[in-house]
Amino acid sequence: MPGDAHLDLLFEGDKGAWDGFVRRYAGLIVAAVRGLAASPSDTDDLTQEVFLRLCKDDFRLLRTYDATRAGLTTWLTIVARSTARDSLRRRRAETVPIDAVPEVHLAIDPIEPVAKLKLPEALLSPRQREILTMLYDREMEVAEVAAALGIDPQTVRSAHHKAMLKLRAHFKAEVG
Amino acid sequence: MTGFAENSQGPRRDLPDRMLWRRSLTTDAAEDEVARFLDLAGYAEDRLDPDERERVAALLALDIDAASDVAAARLLAGMAANAAGEPVIARACALVGLAGEGRRVVAFRPATRARRIASLHGAARWGSLAAALALASWLGFAMGSDASVALRGPDQASPDQAGDDNFLTEILDPSTGFLRELTDGQRT
Repeated sequence: MPGDAHLDLLFEGDKGAWDGFVRRYAGLIVAAVRGLAASPSDTDDLTQEVFLRLCKDDFRLLRTYDATRAGLTTWLTIVARSTARDSLRRRRAETVPIDAVPEVHLAIDPIEPVAKLKLPEALLSPRQREILTMLYDREMEVAEVAAALGIDPQTVRSAHHKAMLKLRAHFKAEVG
Repeated sequence: MTGFAENSQGPRRDLPDRMLWRRSLTTDAAEDEVARFLDLAGYAEDRLDPDERERVAALLALDIDAASDVAAARLLAGMAANAAGEPVIARACALVGLAGEGRRVVAFRPATRARRIASLHGAARWGSLAAALALASWLGFAMGSDASVALRGPDQASPDQAGDDNFLTEILDPSTGFLRELTDGQRT
């Protein structure tokens, strides 16, 4: 995992590095989860859960941070909010008996839940999906696709190539 | 291999690529949270290439929570966060032990309001039960004693010795005295 020197020390088990990490980022994590928490004590508990998740299983999650793809501050904010939201969902599920919920709140949510994604939606951009659909489902030629989308034929080939690399990598990882 | 080969009739699509595409259409995407965190963080910092940016933007359009996380990440990246309270820092520091102790995660049970309320309710329930038992015992004893004294009548209650004996008898076997008084000394 590409990271900075502080994180490397932390992964080696340096207690001081962990304490320094906590002091440096606790304010950020508190700010990140505050908008989701119902009370100040909730904010403290959620902050604790975020740190717990970061160091759990020998820093398993923190080791997945990749400095070449995003800054640590941004990544931590995303992780903190996601962890806090999951935690709040679990607590809600654990602590509210159904009899205590007013009937009006038991009505089905008018917003449909997000359907589970198919692989192309999760892996490929809309443009890549469109190009593959035209090539393989509608049996169009590269020149026809390029003309329909108003792009260069070479761009069509490039998009196809990148999309196939992703799909191959996915299925290879699945098999491996 | 790009999946295309030029020939005299134009590009020929490679069969494995076509099969891969078809297979992907029937496969559900498994949740990969680690990749998702990096995608969202990269998107928030505009570090993704155009294809990736387009893909993540399409996912964000379906996921309000993820979109709000990206917005929060952008907002917080541009401002200095306030320092956290010392108890919060101390608690988080305690999660990882000293190097000499090995890596040790000390998990605190979060003291949620619901748990505190639940324990308060439990204590109140048991306390009420204990108080009710004590009250019922005292009341039963007092009523039994009063009834016994009332039925015995004033003439039989005077001698001290007899009073002590009667009291013991009432304690050990109250029904005997009660029946004797009812039948006015006659044997049944």
